[in-house]
Amino acid sequence: MKAILRTESLGKYFGHMAAVHEVNLTLQEGLFTSVIGPNGAGKTTLINLLSGYMLPDRGKIYFREKEITRLGPDKRVKMGISRSFQVMNIFPRMTVFQNILLPVLSRLNKTSSAFSSQQSQKEAVGEAEKILGEVWLQEEKDSPGGELSHGDQRLLELGIAVAANPQLCFLDEPSSGMNPIERIKVLELVKKLASERKTTFIIVEHDMDIVFSLSDWIVVMNRGEVLAEGKPGDIRENQVVRDIYLGEEI
Amino acid sequence: MKTRLAILILVVLLALLPAYAGKYALYVAIHILLLSIFSLGFNLLFGYTGLLSFGQAGFYAVGAYGCAKILLTYPSLLVGIVGGVVIAGAVSLLLGFLCIRHTRIYFSMLTLSFGMMIFSLAWKWRDMTGGDDGLVGIPRAPLEIPGLFKINMAPMENYYYVVLAFAILAIYLFHRIVHSPMGLAMQGIRDSETRTACIGISVRKYRLLSFTIAGLYAGLAGALLPPLESTVTPPLAHWSHSAEPVLATLLGGVYSFSGPIVGSVLFYLLKDIIVRFTEYWQMCLGIIVVVLVIGFRGGVVSIFSRKGGRR
Amino acid sequence: METLVFQGLVGLSVSMYLWLLAAGLTIVFGVLGVLNFAHGSLFMLGAYFTFTYYGLWGVNFWLAIALSLLSVAVVGYFMERFFLRHIYHLDHAYQLLLTFGFILIFDDAVKMIWGGVAKIPPMPSFFEGTVSVVGRPFPFYNLFIIGTGLAVAIVVWLLFEKTWWGKMVRASASDREMASAIGVNIPTLFTGVFVFGAMLAALGGALGTPVRVVAPGIGAAMIIQAFIITVIGGLGNLKGAFVGAIIVGTLSAYGILLFPVFELFLIFLIMAVVLMVKPQGLFGG
Repeated sequence: MKAILRTESLGKYFGHMAAVHEVNLTLQEGLFTSVIGPNGAGKTTLINLLSGYMLPDRGKIYFREKEITRLGPDKRVKMGISRSFQVMNIFPRMTVFQNILLPVLSRLNKTSSAFSSQQSQKEAVGEAEKILGEVWLQEEKDSPGGELSHGDQRLLELGIAVAANPQLCFLDEPSSGMNPIERIKVLELVKKLASERKTTFIIVEHDMDIVFSLSDWIVVMNRGEVLAEGKPGDIRENQVVRDIYLGEEI
Repeated sequence: MKTRLAILILVVLLALLPAYAGKYALYVAIHILLLSIFSLGFNLLFGYTGLLSFGQAGFYAVGAYGCAKILLTYPSLLVGIVGGVVIAGAVSLLLGFLCIRHTRIYFSMLTLSFGMMIFSLAWKWRDMTGGDDGLVGIPRAPLEIPGLFKINMAPMENYYYVVLAFAILAIYLFHRIVHSPMGLAMQGIRDSETRTACIGISVRKYRLLSFTIAGLYAGLAGALLPPLESTVTPPLAHWSHSAEPVLATLLGGVYSFSGPIVGSVLFYLLKDIIVRFTEYWQMCLGIIVVVLVIGFRGGVVSIFSRKGGRR
Repeated sequence: METLVFQGLVGLSVSMYLWLLAAGLTIVFGVLGVLNFAHGSLFMLGAYFTFTYYGLWGVNFWLAIALSLLSVAVVGYFMERFFLRHIYHLDHAYQLLLTFGFILIFDDAVKMIWGGVAKIPPMPSFFEGTVSVVGRPFPFYNLFIIGTGLAVAIVVWLLFEKTWWGKMVRASASDREMASAIGVNIPTLFTGVFVFGAMLAALGGALGTPVRVVAPGIGAAMIIQAFIITVIGGLGNLKGAFVGAIIVGTLSAYGILLFPVFELFLIFLIMAVVLMVKPQGLFGG
């Protein structure tokens, strides 16, 4: 089992507040990992640092032993890292199909092409159709992204994240804002993507059902630091972890 | 299919225009074509890439003055026009580097300031630009390729055909660009910059491309002006001129391909009609803008299309 | 040397008009998040109203100023309450477009009501005359302007730092939701702030009437400089607007002296440089 991502003393501070502090993490390839913790634990900040959305104040990040600490998000995507966002971040005025086509075109380095039509990019179009099928959105392919239902937008969001064919994919609270029915659908999709694709998924989640049913590994954060990590069973038994959730059923 | 037929009919009608329209009508038609080219470029920036520029007139003026200076020394139409476009493109590339690194409000204000810097240069730099008198006596140089042909441009119809040809070319190229992968990348930037970056696209690169293409289009519109009017003056670079493509596009429809063109036609029609009733056509235009922004942000095109513009 | 001092004072008096205009612009942006392109038009209206009350109807100078502040306040109220309010949720571009539309409307409205010819109102008699500064005659009125500008700056500062209203405004600027949650009526506050900003601009226009030309387009000419000032000082930053106004005012005065052809260019260049180097402005965070 190879380490796909490694951090050394990663830190991010806002004034006197430590959002992320002294994080030393090693994430194994192929292990579905969940990052959990109470609100304000620094989970989203961690994802932002790892995906390039924010730059750290301290520490280093290595992707397959190549340092990526200060690389911008677009460069990290080219290396094989992608992410989805907690607050829906799709392209509302573009059609659903175009939402998926664009990341595929980007991956195939076709976006500089100015005079050939989008449709003529056969390879990209074919892939986009496939991914659209994967996320169950073929029916809506010509609708503007902004007109989809909330739940479908989340599926699209995930589709955009995997369209880059990433080796490492961060999903930030994929079930956030979903009603119970939508939540099941999202869970199904994440499960399907995890099993069918050669992508290592790292998700931030509050929904413990999702966390414990999907994860091979769990990282627990609190106040910006890593409190504990281990297999789901071990985490469930860990007293310190149970304490910070104050008796919640985990 | 229907759209293609409609376009074909339109092109034929436009080509036949000199047969049934007088000199003045052709003159107005040329201006409408110029505004269309100008507005298409503006909308690549605004409707497709999400950047509102209040300085496009600067590049228009650079194209106009560039062409004028060339024609005053070497009166060959193609050289003047192409020269004007190239210079405008170079200036927009240069200024683009400085402008596109900034977020939207600052971007708009930077473009306003650069446009006005060009205006103040045009106004004050007497030796180069003729100052507030501008450049006069610009010839409507013949369309020639040495050794092949030389067509006199004195008759208005002849010049009309040249402008029409450039306009059709510009519109065709624009169509290719916005339906290409590059065009999609620009729309991605408009819809969500962060997401676009997070799928591996360099936001700066495409903003710069969009800005430069818009500058080239403004430059083309500008370069086509001197042979028509025989003079170029500083107000061409003023921010009130930058407002014309903004208004035309808003009128026609920001989020549609044909919006800027429809808007340009409407702009001249409205101006023509309003001016007959009142000298305060600027106020009427202002009222139209206010109404559009509050109620009809998709412009005229959205009122007629089924999907309708909401945002 | 004397020329420099003299020109500096000239620049300082120009700075005060610019400060009054820029202050309102920056406050409105800081609190409402709207960049009001038409703010210069409110300045212009202040000048026109004062010209009418004082220059045409012979009303007492101070009363005329007060009346024109009120008149512009009404205009500002209508602008915000019935138009701007509908587009707060939209992209900044639409706010710029809407307020641009208002520039067109006001410019022509002014021509319609007062005619397009520039007006030159009379100087109030108690301000006539000059004062000797470094051996040269300096208009007494300009000294009055400098003094008034400083006084207004202090009053405005006190208003925002020390009064309860000022605190509410600042709270709403930094966190609208929080302010609303503690009972601040945001829509009313916004209208109030906009009207306040409009009155500051109108004051600038009003105070300028005896020495400056009253004509269509004077607002538009100044709005660009006001933008530049707010950028230099930092959008939403009052102290920055004051310093920025002084910089721009004195620089343009020196510019006219030293680089007579390119002083306009110089000002824009400075804005461009500030935007590129420190876009939040000298005082921005």
